Amino acid sequence: MNPSLKLALTVFIALEVSFAQVWTVNVALIVVSLILMLINHVSFKRLLYLTLVPLFFSSTLVWSLSLRGSASPHFLLVIFTRLFVYVYMGGLFTQTTDPLMLTRSLEQNAKLPAKFAYGFLAAFNLMPKIKAEVATIKAAAMMRGQILHFWSPQLYFKVILAAMNWSDQLAAAMTSHGFVEGAPRTHALTIPLVARDWWFFGGALLLVQVGLFSGLR
Amino acid sequence: MKRWHIRDIILVTILAIFMGVIFWVIGPLYTVLAAALAPFGLSPLANELLLGIWVMAGPLAGFIIRIPGAATLGELLGAVVEMFLGGIWGASTLISGVVQGFGSELGFIFTGYKRYTWSTLVLTALTTTIVTFTWDLFRSGYAAYHVPFLLLLFAVRFASVFVFGGVLTKLINNLLVRAHVLPNATH
Amino acid sequence: MATVTVNSLTFTYPQRQRPVLDDLAVTFPGGKFSLLTGVSGGGKSTLLRLIAGLTPLPTPNTITFDGNPLSAIAPGKRAATVAMLFQEPSTQFTMDTVVNELRFALENQRVDPAAIPGKIDAALAFIGITNLKDRSLMALSGGEQQKVALAIIVAMDSDVILLDEPFASIDPPTRLTLLQKLVALCTQRGKTIILADHDLSGYDEWVDHLAVLDTGKVTLLSTEQTQQRFAAFTPEQLRLTHVTQPSSALTVSLQGSQLGIAQGKRQLIQPQDLSFFAHRATLITGPNGSGKSTLFRALVRLGKYQGTLTYDGTNIQKLSRKRYAREVGLMFQSATAQFLNVTVTEELDLSRRFGNADYFTAERVQDLLTQLNLADHAEQVIYSLSSGQQKKLQLLCMLIMAPDVLLLDEPLKGLDFASIQVVMQILTTAQRDLKLTLIMVSHQLSGLDDLITLHLHLDQQHLTYEGAAE
Repeated sequence: MNPSLKLALTVFIALEVSFAQVWTVNVALIVVSLILMLINHVSFKRLLYLTLVPLFFSSTLVWSLSLRGSASPHFLLVIFTRLFVYVYMGGLFTQTTDPLMLTRSLEQNAKLPAKFAYGFLAAFNLMPKIKAEVATIKAAAMMRGQILHFWSPQLYFKVILAAMNWSDQLAAAMTSHGFVEGAPRTHALTIPLVARDWWFFGGALLLVQVGLFSGLR
Repeated sequence: MKRWHIRDIILVTILAIFMGVIFWVIGPLYTVLAAALAPFGLSPLANELLLGIWVMAGPLAGFIIRIPGAATLGELLGAVVEMFLGGIWGASTLISGVVQGFGSELGFIFTGYKRYTWSTLVLTALTTTIVTFTWDLFRSGYAAYHVPFLLLLFAVRFASVFVFGGVLTKLINNLLVRAHVLPNATH
Repeated sequence: MATVTVNSLTFTYPQRQRPVLDDLAVTFPGGKFSLLTGVSGGGKSTLLRLIAGLTPLPTPNTITFDGNPLSAIAPGKRAATVAMLFQEPSTQFTMDTVVNELRFALENQRVDPAAIPGKIDAALAFIGITNLKDRSLMALSGGEQQKVALAIIVAMDSDVILLDEPFASIDPPTRLTLLQKLVALCTQRGKTIILADHDLSGYDEWVDHLAVLDTGKVTLLSTEQTQQRFAAFTPEQLRLTHVTQPSSALTVSLQGSQLGIAQGKRQLIQPQDLSFFAHRATLITGPNGSGKSTLFRALVRLGKYQGTLTYDGTNIQKLSRKRYAREVGLMFQSATAQFLNVTVTEELDLSRRFGNADYFTAERVQDLLTQLNLADHAEQVIYSLSSGQQKKLQLLCMLIMAPDVLLLDEPLKGLDFASIQVVMQILTTAQRDLKLTLIMVSHQLSGLDDLITLHLHLDQQHLTYEGAAE
């Protein structure tokens, strides 16, 4: 499915589920997400992680709601399943979507300005450098007798200085590689957005609405 | 009004990734805290205590980049990073990101993107707390809690947002201003 | 073939009084290879950035390409006019893989999608890196990244190619390949090349013109003058008169057993037994990109290594990070990596609080500041100091910490001759007074003789102590 539409569908359903209180729809969404993840060969380890995490957090949430609140069993069931919907749908999306394809699709299909699309990508590729920089800063501080924690302003200060340097360098490099803000570009790879994507998008949304409507009645 | 340039976009994304890394680092702390508080039905307190760190990307980006939308974008991108790293809130992370970012953004909107002082930070901490709390009333079913407990959660959340999104952000900002590296800062 | 003309260009950094480029006028001839040289911090990078259009011109039209200012050239054609290759290899890419970065650059030029694959393959073949096409950019070595950066410029078919200290961390074979390709781009494709480097060595057979940047002005030498200048230039020679093989009487400080260093899949140093000796000053030399900095990072537990490393007989992985960091310190190659505060005084105070304040008394520190010409800068923001001043402050901060073992990664980089003399004297005195163990990597070879008594040379992935037996 087209990555931009898939993102829109995921976010829209997650938003609806946040307000609706129909546990049967939640369960249906969980089952569908699970089946789709299995079809797409998501690893067993990943599935286990995607199951244990919400299991722990929704259990504690439900436990505290029943202890500290006045929630009906039906409401608790809704909350319990809701977290699974979030995590499974999020898992389905991230496991079946290549970030680069998503960005290209957002640029081509959703008309996101190219400066945002490629600015994000340039920064995302720095992820390993950012992690290494944090380690270097902490080590440099320790050599001076200081321990930096996640609440130490100096840690953030130094990272931000490095980030400013990198963003200057990357912006210059992009300009040097011919990128001009707002200028038209061609696309070596086009991300298709075909009628089938729209049918699938509309069909899935319609099914959820029908489910919610009959569940609320 | 200042517009987004490629340098700002890269900078806000790096900030968001860095906050993602920080969140990744304290992830175990959160889990341990939540597990320790769980038997007493207090596990939401773990969330409230550490929420300030998660929403920090918003005010931090707002203070450093000083362009309308910086807080929202910083927080949304933080959410994107978290979702791809496999955070516990999955698909709703993106919505939360927008909600949290907008909460911080309100503080800057109310001060017209002109004042970057303590009062701005107190205001953003307050707007962030109110907006995100409203969202959790629905998403996490907080509406079902008894009122005294709800008030406790709210107070803890505000304290956390104030400490990390307010005090810590201001201290970082002070260092940056003193180092003369904020081109948009006037004082 | 484009001629680059600079006319009455004056440029001053923000918050500075004196202009770094002062009414500068120079013409870089089209289709020729010019080497722009001058001291570190003298404005070479600034000039290149202005030519490339990365820094806005203070006065319009002071730089032209065959008579046209860059602003008069359509956005999609600018990269075909001028492109730049940067000093830091890893922060010049937008995309994840080599082929995607090439696509990105060609899309920006609005190349017809059907023509893109052909251009990509031709550019990669020209540089000889077809095998890297689908590789992740972040997993490449610095040398490979520079090759990719040049391939992108070849694909964009830029008329003027600017290179800002491109070989700073590049191994010699890669440097040679890149220089050959650059000459081919000049002679076969008529490209104009301007390469900035503070060091003249190893360029005489490659470049057409020498352009000397001095006190804000550029003098372009003719081909004959350039050859004369190169003939008169002798690269610095390492002269160490006190170096011997380590004697058996020395105490071992850091010891590696089957210590090997790799970066990704690339082996930089083959596993070997290696000892560093206490209370001595050891110099490590070796080609660029051969793994000296990576070795240092491993020694302070910032990087992976093979084999085991012990400090005073204990495996360093078993020591607490905090304690170890106080005993084995690293002066980073980049000065700003060392600083944690805002002003010079704050930084020195931090070092005195945790370092050896008994020896480095307030008076002594003040005296050292005066010797280093930093006394008037006490309240200045570190990030507004020149790179040379930052380097001197960095050294002072790490000396005050006085760790048992101090690793120095290019401590003299970018310093002028007078500063080098002062710094070396300070280092030598502190080393003798405090019996420090110093291990130094330096490309700057003059002035080291008084201090250095042991010399490790890295060659063919192996470290060996030089010098005759004592």
